[in-house]
Amino acid sequence: MARDPSVRSGADLFEVRFESIGGLGAHVAGKIVAGAAVLRMNMNGSHFSSYGSEKKGSVVRSFIRLAPADSAIRTSAPIEEPDVVVVFHAGLLAHPATLSGLRAGGTLIFAGNEGDLPEGLERAPGTAKVFRVDAQKIAFEEKSRENAVLIGALAEAVPELDRQSVLDALTATFAGKSDAVVDSNTRAFNRGADELEAVAGIGRQDGDVPTMQSHPAWGYRSAPIGGVLPTPGNTAHNDLHTSRTGWMPILERDKCIDCGMCDMVCPDLCLVWSTHVDADGNPGVKLDGIDYQYCKGCMRCVETCSTGAMIREAEEPGKADELRVPLFPGLATAAGGKHA
Amino acid sequence: MLDQARAISPQPVRQVHDFKSGNEAAALAARDIGFHVMGYFPITPSTEVAETLSKMQADGEHDIVMIPADGEHGAAGICYGAALGGGRVLNATSSQGLLYALEQLPVQSGTRVPMVLNISTRTVSGPLDIRCDHSDIYFVLNAGWVILMARDPQAAYDLNFCAVRIGEHADVRLPVIVAYDGFLTSHQKRRIDRFDDPDAVKAFLGEREDPYTALDPEHPVTFGPYMNDPDLINNKVQQHEAMEAARRVIPEVFAEFAALSGRDYRTVDAYRMDDAEVALVLLNSAAENAKEVADSLREQGHKVGVVSPNVLRPFPTDEIRRLLRNVRAVVVGDRGDSYGAEGGNLSLEVRAALQQDPDNKTLVMSRIYGLGGKDFYATDAEEFFNEALAAAATGKVDVPFEYHGAYAGDDAAGPPPGLPPIQSEAVSRGMAKVTPNPDTNKLEVELKPLWEMTTTPSRIAPGHGACPGCGFFPMLRQAYNVLEGNVVVLFQTGCAMVTTTGYPKTAHRITYIHNLFQNGAATLSGLVEMYHERVRRGELPAAPEGEDTTFIMVTGDGGMDIGMGAALGTAHRNHKMIILEYDNQGYMNTGSQLSYATPFGHRTSTSEVGDAMSGKRFHHKDTPQIFAACNLPYVFTASEGYPEDFMRKMSKAQWYAQRQGLVYGKVLSFCPLNWRTADDAAQEVLQAAIDCCFFPLYEVEKGATHVTYDPDAIGRRRPVGEWLGMMGKTKHILAPEHADQLEMTEQEIGRRWRRLKIKSEHPEL
Repeated sequence: MARDPSVRSGADLFEVRFESIGGLGAHVAGKIVAGAAVLRMNMNGSHFSSYGSEKKGSVVRSFIRLAPADSAIRTSAPIEEPDVVVVFHAGLLAHPATLSGLRAGGTLIFAGNEGDLPEGLERAPGTAKVFRVDAQKIAFEEKSRENAVLIGALAEAVPELDRQSVLDALTATFAGKSDAVVDSNTRAFNRGADELEAVAGIGRQDGDVPTMQSHPAWGYRSAPIGGVLPTPGNTAHNDLHTSRTGWMPILERDKCIDCGMCDMVCPDLCLVWSTHVDADGNPGVKLDGIDYQYCKGCMRCVETCSTGAMIREAEEPGKADELRVPLFPGLATAAGGKHA
Repeated sequence: MLDQARAISPQPVRQVHDFKSGNEAAALAARDIGFHVMGYFPITPSTEVAETLSKMQADGEHDIVMIPADGEHGAAGICYGAALGGGRVLNATSSQGLLYALEQLPVQSGTRVPMVLNISTRTVSGPLDIRCDHSDIYFVLNAGWVILMARDPQAAYDLNFCAVRIGEHADVRLPVIVAYDGFLTSHQKRRIDRFDDPDAVKAFLGEREDPYTALDPEHPVTFGPYMNDPDLINNKVQQHEAMEAARRVIPEVFAEFAALSGRDYRTVDAYRMDDAEVALVLLNSAAENAKEVADSLREQGHKVGVVSPNVLRPFPTDEIRRLLRNVRAVVVGDRGDSYGAEGGNLSLEVRAALQQDPDNKTLVMSRIYGLGGKDFYATDAEEFFNEALAAAATGKVDVPFEYHGAYAGDDAAGPPPGLPPIQSEAVSRGMAKVTPNPDTNKLEVELKPLWEMTTTPSRIAPGHGACPGCGFFPMLRQAYNVLEGNVVVLFQTGCAMVTTTGYPKTAHRITYIHNLFQNGAATLSGLVEMYHERVRRGELPAAPEGEDTTFIMVTGDGGMDIGMGAALGTAHRNHKMIILEYDNQGYMNTGSQLSYATPFGHRTSTSEVGDAMSGKRFHHKDTPQIFAACNLPYVFTASEGYPEDFMRKMSKAQWYAQRQGLVYGKVLSFCPLNWRTADDAAQEVLQAAIDCCFFPLYEVEKGATHVTYDPDAIGRRRPVGEWLGMMGKTKHILAPEHADQLEMTEQEIGRRWRRLKIKSEHPEL
């Protein structure tokens, strides 16, 4: 269904959409920015978020609508044609929905490593302003979070927002916390604003990015009646690796005694075992490894391991793919991935 | 005169800007009104009202008595009782909570006891969906309550004040609902103006005056007599007249409120209706979305407008008739169907109103839209307008009734297929050998080593959406390691249900049923009896002794609050099944509200910590002892941190459930998110809870108690404070100013532990 520009919600609206993953603080960031606009910059505004069904690690969108003080904001619908998109995790750019509807004259800010031009940036309008900020690095160095860095970047990149007002709103959310907490978030915010880097000539889209329409897997003609799922265990197709926040458990095979204790405590049911018969004819089991498609990185296996065979390591790009032992080797993971 | 939207006029009393969601606005109104009592039970998306009030209470901002009920039915009872006492009473609920309370609603209106109930509207089950539509509010149209519709957070704030006045009016004397859209309004922050002039608010509200109260010993009265014909119909005439009086009183109160606030509400919100030839009739937030489309269509020369009742009961029949008199075609959008009636309730009532006007020629179309939170975009409103414009132009309606925005599906698509079914033989590996000991009359269990269990095919698949570190899945995995044969599970609503069955995917590889947590135990008991009856009739294969299908009802500790009645009834009937409770000490699925299993002093989102309040105010429920008192074959406690102990008990549970009757087990289950610990802290925190005797591991087998882990006996007893110091939700109890709270905790834990040990030592207890 094509969207008719004639019905765009209130022409004087300024609309921002955050694209994020649960746990990165997009909802709180949106609340801070919109609250700053309404309570500190004398604007009218609204803010809300949408969540997936998972508790952590799934796609989260947060929406900010701003208008002049005397202008009504009526609609409560999600923002379809944003003036600004802020992407909290570069990996999200691979999904076409992330930039859906971004206006030709709009602004895109994404969290990415220095020099990084992730796949999907080309979907941005050629006429849009595109900025990169290394939110993860800054947040780590300043003992803050990505969201503080990104709202600093947003407040700097967008003339509609007053940088100081947004910083004041951020600081106010840490009322009662130590000066050190306020300082680290202030530094993260300011570095986000100051280290914002314009990326030119990357967008290929002519005009506005078209709005994405998506359909559920089943409709009323195809779904079994009553909401019944005759598909036992099909969550096995889900990919939950984004739930890990920078750390992963690693099996050091030579230290493992195959005692089975880790299997008792693993919430993600992602340990892979095989059976064998030893030279004396006794049956045995062997822990072959971890299926990182499901591991959310809680480290309960590491904590419980009595021989030090499970260790906690920083997750480097590609490492999980390299070390992964698939639990269901024949399973096609592409279909029904969680972002499908 | 109806054609004015709410206008912001110069403010007669002092007000301040704020930036609040609908739930927060309702909570602010509650604070500013100063209700006496709130009885409530958490349900998304209304829970935030109680949560916000709990935070405010901890900070000393109000002194409303907040009573966490055992369920919405109990909450409605608390509110009814409190309101009989002559003070101001508040509640907030949604969806199934409203339906669970429904039985009480006509009692309250029929006996004419005012209060205010905020409803954050949400679709009703099943299947369970937490998002907005109006199917819940449609169920209460016949409850005899005044119903006000709040289209945005400002209205949620404002209409709470009006609700108090309308309900308490001497000619009305009815309870009042304020309904706003779940998530769309309840969770969307907007700029609002709130009062900053307590004296003016107080003057507006006045004092509640009750002709009768239950707290006036000098004038004893009987509330709720037994009344048959010929009297009941007369009582109902009075109720009808009260609702008709509300028709008159509501505009009066709205006018007074306009003078106070500068915000002018009408019984029907009419937008650009003066010369409208085509209109949409919509409730709440969708009407606001449609207004923007009306503006752009007006710019294109179309005479369109939007009609949206601010009052649903009494239904504003005259205003609707007047507004639509010259409208040629209207689309009425219903966020909820009245199945088989060819229109939702709003459509039916609009049609009925117009039918009474002999001169009316308006063409009416009904559209069901936005169910279960499906968004209503400008393009949707535009489609409705276009359909109405087409009907107005042609003078006829092609499709009188239709669902809007549904999707037929694509046969080539669909969710990914399931995994191969779990074969009974593959999971019946003898991991626990259960033998009755004729000397002790008890069961003995021999467990295989843990490593042998690792290759048991799992009845639960990975890929579920639980939080990192969640203790439920280790528990389930351990249980499944030792259970033999066919298993059917029923999960009551809770984290484990939500995270394993997000449509169109399921983590369950065996048959799984969900029912709401009032009723899981009863539901499963029905299935158990059907199984045995169909086996008896030869319709299902009979199994050798000890190989019948095992039925397990899985519940959180919250489900053992609201579902306690059904669970105890099931226990007393002694069906052959297991009730397995994972106790993570709160309603963790909905954001950590207190349950009765939450220990004393612990912080939750409805038992906040601040200068004026310090966590939960009463001790944790001793659920295993309650079930032990049902004289069941087997009751146990366990921890996912002690796999061998738990698996031994689980295998005994299966033995008893297949042969003798009902088993109840409670398993302490780690929740790092809401206990506020690291994701990998399970082992030390669970161990501390057990070693300090907060959570003793024991079993009650055929009436005899046996402590299976005694920290005193092996020198591992630790102070309660060591456990409390490990969790963010309890650290405050160790502060010097809460020394009394720590002492009370120690005393209660010590008292329960000593009693348990005495029972364990005595053969008859």
